[in-house]
Amino acid sequence: MWLSLNIIRDMVDLDGIAPEEIAARLTMATAEIDGIDAVNRHFETVVTAKIIDVMKHPNADKLTVCDLDAGKEKLTVVCGAPNHKKGDIVALATVGTKLSEEFTVTETKVRGVNSPGMLCSEKELGLSDDHSGIMIFPADTPIGVPLSRLYPDRVDVRLEIDNKSITHRPDLWCHAGFAREIAALFGRAFKHPVDLSIAKTFTNSEPLTVTIHAPEAAPRYCGLVVKNIRIEESPEWLKSRVSAIGMRPINNVVDVTNYVMAEIGEPMHAFDRKKLRGNEIIVRTATDGEPMKTLDEQEHTLTAHDVVIADAGGPIALAGVMGGGDSEIDDATTEIVLEAANFNPVNIRRTANRYGLRTEAAIRFEKSLDPEICPAAIVRCYELIKRLVPEAEAVTEIVDAYPRKHSENRIETSSAFIRKKLGQDIDDARITGILSSLGFGVRDSGGDLDITAPTYRSTKDVSIPDDIVEEVGRIFGYDNITPVPPMVPCAAPARNEFRLFERRLKTILSRDYGLTEVSNYSFVGEAPLAALDLDEGLELRLRNPLSQEQDRLRRSLVPNIVGNIAFNQRYSDAFRFFELGRVYIKKSRTDAELASEQTRITGCVYAKTPASPLFYDARTALTGLIGELRIRGVQLRPIDSGLPPYAHPGRSLEIVIEGKHAGLVFELHPAVRQRFDIAGQAALFDVSVDQLFAAKKLERSFTELRKYPDVPFELSLIADRFAYAEEICAIAAKSSREFVRDASVVSVYSGEQIPAGKKSVSVRVVFAAQDRTLAPEEIEKLQKGVIDALGKKGYALR
Amino acid sequence: MKDTLETLQTNTLAAIRSATTAAELEEIRIRVLGRKGELTGILRGLGGLAPEERAAVGKISNEIKADIETALGAKKTDLDGAAIGAMLAEEWIDVSLAGPASSKRPERGHLHPISQIQYEIEDIFTSMGFEILDGPEVETEYNNFEALNIPDHHPARDMQDTFWTEDGNLLRTHTSAIQVRGMATHRPPFRVIGPGRVFRYESTDASHENTFYQIEGMMVDRNISVANLIYFMKILLKEIFRREVTIRLRPGYFPFVEPGFELDIHCLICGGDGCSVCKQSGWVELLPCGLVHPNVLRYGNIDPAEWSGFAFGLGLNRLVMMRYGINDIRHFLSGDLRFLYQF
Repeated sequence: MWLSLNIIRDMVDLDGIAPEEIAARLTMATAEIDGIDAVNRHFETVVTAKIIDVMKHPNADKLTVCDLDAGKEKLTVVCGAPNHKKGDIVALATVGTKLSEEFTVTETKVRGVNSPGMLCSEKELGLSDDHSGIMIFPADTPIGVPLSRLYPDRVDVRLEIDNKSITHRPDLWCHAGFAREIAALFGRAFKHPVDLSIAKTFTNSEPLTVTIHAPEAAPRYCGLVVKNIRIEESPEWLKSRVSAIGMRPINNVVDVTNYVMAEIGEPMHAFDRKKLRGNEIIVRTATDGEPMKTLDEQEHTLTAHDVVIADAGGPIALAGVMGGGDSEIDDATTEIVLEAANFNPVNIRRTANRYGLRTEAAIRFEKSLDPEICPAAIVRCYELIKRLVPEAEAVTEIVDAYPRKHSENRIETSSAFIRKKLGQDIDDARITGILSSLGFGVRDSGGDLDITAPTYRSTKDVSIPDDIVEEVGRIFGYDNITPVPPMVPCAAPARNEFRLFERRLKTILSRDYGLTEVSNYSFVGEAPLAALDLDEGLELRLRNPLSQEQDRLRRSLVPNIVGNIAFNQRYSDAFRFFELGRVYIKKSRTDAELASEQTRITGCVYAKTPASPLFYDARTALTGLIGELRIRGVQLRPIDSGLPPYAHPGRSLEIVIEGKHAGLVFELHPAVRQRFDIAGQAALFDVSVDQLFAAKKLERSFTELRKYPDVPFELSLIADRFAYAEEICAIAAKSSREFVRDASVVSVYSGEQIPAGKKSVSVRVVFAAQDRTLAPEEIEKLQKGVIDALGKKGYALR
Repeated sequence: MKDTLETLQTNTLAAIRSATTAAELEEIRIRVLGRKGELTGILRGLGGLAPEERAAVGKISNEIKADIETALGAKKTDLDGAAIGAMLAEEWIDVSLAGPASSKRPERGHLHPISQIQYEIEDIFTSMGFEILDGPEVETEYNNFEALNIPDHHPARDMQDTFWTEDGNLLRTHTSAIQVRGMATHRPPFRVIGPGRVFRYESTDASHENTFYQIEGMMVDRNISVANLIYFMKILLKEIFRREVTIRLRPGYFPFVEPGFELDIHCLICGGDGCSVCKQSGWVELLPCGLVHPNVLRYGNIDPAEWSGFAFGLGLNRLVMMRYGINDIRHFLSGDLRFLYQF
């Protein structure tokens, strides 16, 4: 929203205050000012000049060379316009005049002739759209006068308000609201522009009635019939002001209604009275399916939630949003009905959104406007119309339907409360002074404050003592408050163990195993799920997704991780990364209960041409993680069935914690690699962080160091190619629970000396006793025990 | 006898001198001084000699033995030194290499920059007595709006801002919802923060994301004031930026605080003189904050007559972008490792 300082000046004296200062104080106390803009600054350096002589340009047919008398100096410029002659008074933009962001007048040579200035068209000056020739002033116009003196109304400074910063302040959607703030901030008087006594001149000679059928939706409606109207162009001052605040001048009546809205904040409308059917204006909700054409020529089909202004023949306006096309004023209009009404903000917002009509009126009404300003707006409108068209005449009194009287908010608080909340010593007189300057009524009895909020602050934003604290604080200036440390107990906070656990997981994976953390959207779409054969429709859907690719919430981190692999392989032949994030599980998608949010950690190792199966890299990272976290009761089970479709059935390992499935380590299924165009190999792990967190952890306790030597025993066995080496170790370990300290795989070999379909597994078994050195015969017996146990299970010595 | 001994001495010392390996030396030692060695044999045969001759020969023999042992020791030290030297030369490697491919450790992994800053800020708050809270990302309308004094018809509840789920819930639009959960489980006085992922129904571009990260903070105690809030914010921002920052508080409207503020900091790029980052204003809008609205305390069953508090929200993406000069918010969830490796 633009704020014209010319308009503000009618209400508060700005003498001696720079626009920058106004902007700075408003930003700190009221609303954010986005910019300061000098309107028509070029009018200072464009001067009137008389053409003394016009000559043909020596080098160009369409150009002329003009000798000018610009009052203080005489000069010669080149001009390309077709409409000027000797003796004309024209507008000369002197060197340095900035006519637009892109164009500043400089002294140049035009086809070889020097031209220290430029003669301007009305369009170039910003006075109209006329670009047919240069502007020619009446013959009696003084020479050498800057346009800023000829058109004083055109020169203005405007402030750009950040509309987002005033959504909670209905009173600030106009100049009067800001003028009141500026007056309070600079300690000056505020003068409201409306003279209500003008209403006394209204006479009731014509019939008009207003009936409100929906008082909830339309608490007030004021109408006034004005006759002897003449529709014409607005005078210079009004066009200037309307243009300065970003509106396009239309005609006198429309410009006045727009101006009054900008000035005091009440959106106005004027109907052509002769187009109305009957003398009754009805405010009601529309019927479902009721048709209506708004003045932008759009046809709408209304609903019962919309409020309309209607006459005997049907809707004449979409209440608070836009007037109707059939009752619009036109050049022939001679009688009007002025409307100033108040509507329920919720209805207005919904209607405006429903039809995409976020008009100036709608964005104001949806802020909860003060109904008390309706009659004032009518009076002000009439006053201005009368100024423009003196024969105009009000032929009704203000017809005022006001079924729900709006009251002022009363707030009881104390200056002590205000000081306590601000934490700043502000004396009582300052507090009451600030409130009075903002239009609040204050009765101070020994520090107890009985406050009456003005009606324009009572619709929603001021109702409780804390609101009063804000009023005092912002005008006092938050920068003037001395920071004070809070007095609070000194205590260590409770630890969020789960958060710390997450952090440990991430640290171990990145620091010890070189995995980089990625973060993916919580969303997933149908395409990757289908490519992973996971499209079972279980994901919780969004009602309003932004795109098909993000229309549901992930139940697994895997799909986005696979997407990450496909993406990153373009830039790197080998990488490893993980994500720790939440998945959203619902038993029934539509059940109102919140989704169960489970935290998973999913990692990936990728290489274009791995030297050995990447499965082992992923397994190492995960088992290393589990080991460092000291998780008890973990089992790693080879698994080849019941796997998710993206897992390689020959390269998958199940992680079981305390008997429950907790995750998988797997290589990506070759079919998935193909579908995602993944050129290399990828191994993943995907585990429940919740289960890792909940699992019992191994306690640390000291074990006596062994005093007697270990006796190692290595043997090689022939096993089936699909045998699990871990099973061999387990058999060896079980051969003597007392003396076998360890059994582990040294190497696995398949090749020339090994029969097809078999492999050689070398195992190292370590014997030891707690209380003695093992005797040679004991060792021999233990070795035989291992060999026999393995032999029974079909593992022969090689 | 004496001659025999001298010959033995001469020959042995010569052999020791010419020996080139430790093994040769050992062989000499065994041949001469071993259990069945030549000198050992002579000494053993001393018993058969006359007592006066025995003493003389014994003395010479012991002297010769000591000479030989000294020579052996000296030569051994020489040879060992040479062997180590050879070994050192042999074992030379090119330390300018990072290492042969076979032994290359995986590169260091990187934590996501958001995680890094989140942990940093969590630690700052923990050190100031704040407890870290969690909340679900899919929230109820009540916790996200109603309990935060955002009534039914408030513009913030419009479809254009919020992702709704088909079960009638929503993706939380701010971490303030964690505040609500905090009040349900904590009795004042308390100090809590709630970091997490939040969502907005918004098309993405270089400065807009539909998913981003915030940290919500709330302190409730007796007599918490605006002066306390300003003090605390100054301390907090000094810790985050590791230098004094100039701040200003101006009015800002958020339904869950009253009074509400926008906190701006002096632009860190230009120091307040005005530049393109701060749009020539010298100030950068950093965080919304305010005194907790009494209605919000009431929703949390906290009596606003007895308790007051302040609350604030920090956008983490914004902080990271400011710290590293990142110009596009979409990098964070791109999964692009080239971006992540930089932090």
